[in-house]
Amino acid sequence: MNALIWLAIPLVPLLLAVLIGLRPHRTRFNRWLPWAALPGLAGAAVGGDVEPAALDWLMLNTLLGLDPLGQAFLALTSGLWLAAGLFALSDRQDDPLRHRFYVFWLLALSGNLGLILAQDALSFYLFFSLMSLAAYGLVVHFNTAEAWRAGRIYLILAVVGEILLFAGFVMAIHQAGGDTRLTAIAEARPEGWGLALLVLGFGIKAGMLPLHFWLPLAHPAAPVAASAVLSGAMIKAGLLGWLRVLPLDETGHVLLGETLVLLGLSAAFLAAIAGVLQSRPKTILAYSSISQMGLMTAGAGLALVLPDLRAWLLMAVTLYAVHHGFAKGALFLAAGMTAQRPAAGAARLAFFLFALLPALALAGMPMTSGALAKNTLKEPLYDADLAGWMAHTEFALTLAAAGTTLLMLRFLWRWYQAQRDTQAPPRADSRRWWAWGGLACMSLVFPLLGVAVAPPEQVPAWVVLTGLSLVWPIAIGLFLGLLAWRWARDHERPLLREGDLVVPLEWLVHTGQRLWHRRPAWTGVGRHPARLRWVRYRLRERLELAERVLTRWETIGLLFAAAMLGLYLTLWAG
Amino acid sequence: MSDGGWLLLAILMSSLGPGLAIFFLPERRYGLRTLLNLGGAGTKLVLVGWLLVSVLRGDEYRLVLPLLPGIDFVLAADALSLLFATLSAVLWFVTTVYAIGYLEGSPRRSRFFGFFSLCVSATVGIALSGNLITLLIFYELLTLATWPLVVHRGTPAALRAGRLYLGYTLTSGLVLFTAIVWLTLLAGAESFVPGGYLGELASTHETTLKVLFVMLMIGFGVKAALVPLHSWLPIAMVAPAPVSALLHAVAVVKAGAFGIVRVVNDVFGAEVAIELGLAAGLVVVAAITILYGSIQALRTDDLKQRLAFSTVSQVSYIVLGVALAGPLGVIGGLVHLVHQGITKITLFFCAGNFAETLGIHKISELDGVGRRMPLTMLAFTLGALGMIGLPPLAGFVTKWHLGLGALEAQFHWVLAVLIASSLLNAAYFLPPVIRGWLGERRTPWHEHMVEHSGPTRFETHWMLLVPTLFVAALSLLGGLLAGMSLSPLDWVTLIVERDYSIPGFAP
Repeated sequence: MNALIWLAIPLVPLLLAVLIGLRPHRTRFNRWLPWAALPGLAGAAVGGDVEPAALDWLMLNTLLGLDPLGQAFLALTSGLWLAAGLFALSDRQDDPLRHRFYVFWLLALSGNLGLILAQDALSFYLFFSLMSLAAYGLVVHFNTAEAWRAGRIYLILAVVGEILLFAGFVMAIHQAGGDTRLTAIAEARPEGWGLALLVLGFGIKAGMLPLHFWLPLAHPAAPVAASAVLSGAMIKAGLLGWLRVLPLDETGHVLLGETLVLLGLSAAFLAAIAGVLQSRPKTILAYSSISQMGLMTAGAGLALVLPDLRAWLLMAVTLYAVHHGFAKGALFLAAGMTAQRPAAGAARLAFFLFALLPALALAGMPMTSGALAKNTLKEPLYDADLAGWMAHTEFALTLAAAGTTLLMLRFLWRWYQAQRDTQAPPRADSRRWWAWGGLACMSLVFPLLGVAVAPPEQVPAWVVLTGLSLVWPIAIGLFLGLLAWRWARDHERPLLREGDLVVPLEWLVHTGQRLWHRRPAWTGVGRHPARLRWVRYRLRERLELAERVLTRWETIGLLFAAAMLGLYLTLWAG
Repeated sequence: MSDGGWLLLAILMSSLGPGLAIFFLPERRYGLRTLLNLGGAGTKLVLVGWLLVSVLRGDEYRLVLPLLPGIDFVLAADALSLLFATLSAVLWFVTTVYAIGYLEGSPRRSRFFGFFSLCVSATVGIALSGNLITLLIFYELLTLATWPLVVHRGTPAALRAGRLYLGYTLTSGLVLFTAIVWLTLLAGAESFVPGGYLGELASTHETTLKVLFVMLMIGFGVKAALVPLHSWLPIAMVAPAPVSALLHAVAVVKAGAFGIVRVVNDVFGAEVAIELGLAAGLVVVAAITILYGSIQALRTDDLKQRLAFSTVSQVSYIVLGVALAGPLGVIGGLVHLVHQGITKITLFFCAGNFAETLGIHKISELDGVGRRMPLTMLAFTLGALGMIGLPPLAGFVTKWHLGLGALEAQFHWVLAVLIASSLLNAAYFLPPVIRGWLGERRTPWHEHMVEHSGPTRFETHWMLLVPTLFVAALSLLGGLLAGMSLSPLDWVTLIVERDYSIPGFAP
């Protein structure tokens, strides 16, 4: 019975994908698209008490279930997919290729929900791959040169990530004595190559530095709703993977932890700088995602360095993931509301409010979800004993909010300009408004909810949701923004090429290809053409001649008959 | 004749009888020929199923006939035989249906189906062989029965492929024959024994055994397409699609791999193979073949040729697993015998469907075919993803066990080979899938089949579509239901637990 409940969550979207895919242009199933995430939401609401189900017959000992960590991720994921699905239905309704988009959408949704429920490595890997590969269809949907390039880079990194994960899982499970449960893998404390491969494999998905560069290409290329789930939910799968398999126990892992903190903080600052230099709103948001994922990476790293505080830190990282997922989802949807701008009145006010609210939340404005997430993450660091450069972690985490503020200013400015440029006739579509507004309001609802359900012995709500350390980085960000305002606000072309690292990488690949095609000019083969080539040609000629002679009928027949006879006689005599 | 031996004979005759009868049928007796074909295939399926249940129960089946003084012709059924026999019985049935649809209206069908049946008889004979001599007889029979199928079309390219095929296989057959005679003189005509029967000779005849092993590997390696003995295989893909499917999934290539399995496990035994360093050598050859096949596959635009090079690479997974000589590795290798079969036959059926229906032979022509032939494209996608080794498809189960087996046998670099091979597989199997689903076709399709034989009810002739979907479903279920009893994985685990004495393995 439990098995049925857990299987239904990923199977409902899968089934709908089949139904839509079977008769693409004659189907009425399209309208159910957003509701395919509903079982997931229901599971997150009531699933905490349902026992996990062991399905021995499915794959290799599949184990599905929901732990508190999974519950939070499931709530975020299904909620976001539901809202974005609603948005996609309206956004894509005139698209001739919408059915294809819906099928890929549902496949990716199925994978994203399933991987949260998976409690064993193989089914986790199954759903993870399903999500990654199906999302390729979302990235290239527009069929433009830009989309194909973004898709190619996305696919290469996704496939590499999957194969690294495969190898990492194989090594970790070998170390765990063949037990495929994720808890067993974490308990066996993966070491060396296995650990590195797992960190990298999930890191690609989570946008970890320096494997982040698919994000700023894929997000602007994909349709708005797809970017929202990609940034809000799918990259969180990498984070979830880390939280599931890393050795987050009472011993911790200092080296890995410090590495993750360093990478995370670097990502937080570098991505903020790279993002501010961009001009397209969705690219700015993509860099903001890298920056924010950096903070979560740092949080996971801290839990490895400070094993005593791991429970609190993991909760903080989870809160952060949920907060970022909803807020970033709302911002991406805002980028797709351009044609919906109301002319005047309360609706116009709401229009700008819905964009402002999640942006403020990301910057960490008091009383928003960002305040809750940031305060929870920093809370245990005030009196933790961290040595060396790690002692400044708390300060760095705080200062990162200044970068986020700048990014959000830049985004809002570019977004506002896009509003000004387009003069599309307003065509109110309530589905979009519900999806967008719902997500934006989560920035206010979520912290209140979080404070309400928190145990009473914790710090009081007004402390968790306010604080000086939230305000001063925002002030710095605003100040820097004002300084830069005069000369930078109208830059139409990005000052840094989108995808930063990908530019030199592509150059390397292209140069390599060019050189390869010209190789006789400079390789050893070319330098002594007379000798080396001659040897090669002669060898090939000889071999071909031999093959020709030996495969002549009479040769084959004669040799074969003679040999058979000889051997038969030997056998008889022996 | 000992008890139950008649069942083994009946299984052999169920395809041999109809096959011989079909030779004498005139070309126009379409109905009778189809009846004979399907009747034979169906009978064999039932008989093999019966044998499977009996062997699972623990019954012994054995048929011994004297051949030469001291040398017997032995048919026997152990769990490993049945793995191969079941695979060939199931896929033969499917391929027969496909071939009937594929060759509809083409000339010389009696000859074709006659040799087709002979070919399968020989394959099942190989599966049921109880010693090396019997194996050799069926192995050579297979060589001869396949040649007319390769040259069936009679074009210069086909004749060239046939000549090359025969040249390679006969020469290797000779090497094999020599090796087996030598081995028989040395150790007698023993039956296959789990753990091998050469253990006592390992200390006294070390060099001889090494030479013999290399000769046996050359003998079987040509059919299993081990580099550098592989070059006939990509050229032989000029044969009609059902023949390619049979060649690559069941008959020829698998016969070679099966021979290697028998030699490593039942003649030399894993212990001797490890002790003499032969297993390690075989691992290296298999690894080279895996990478080489994939690299060559990347370079070609012809769909069937790409599939052929992929076979070169994938069959070596079987060899690799067996050469790892640890329980998990052997499980991975043996299960790939089945998994590669069902996956590759899916891909070849799809290639055949594309070629017959729309005249598509190249990967660059696949753009947008997913809209014209969605079901075939779906099957192709399942096959391609399975070859890459993505869950939940059959290929994943193989790769998983091979990876664990490599670590277990302390061959850590083999994991790197598996990673590289998966990357290469993705590099040459994802582009056709992406083209098929996301590409755009701007000109109307060249409706090859509709022009010749009128409109079809489905996207292509149902006799081409149904077998394709059936094997695609198998390749999905092989992985999805790997944990069920009687799945290929379960059966192979049974073999390893029951038959193999592998050092350090406690089931």
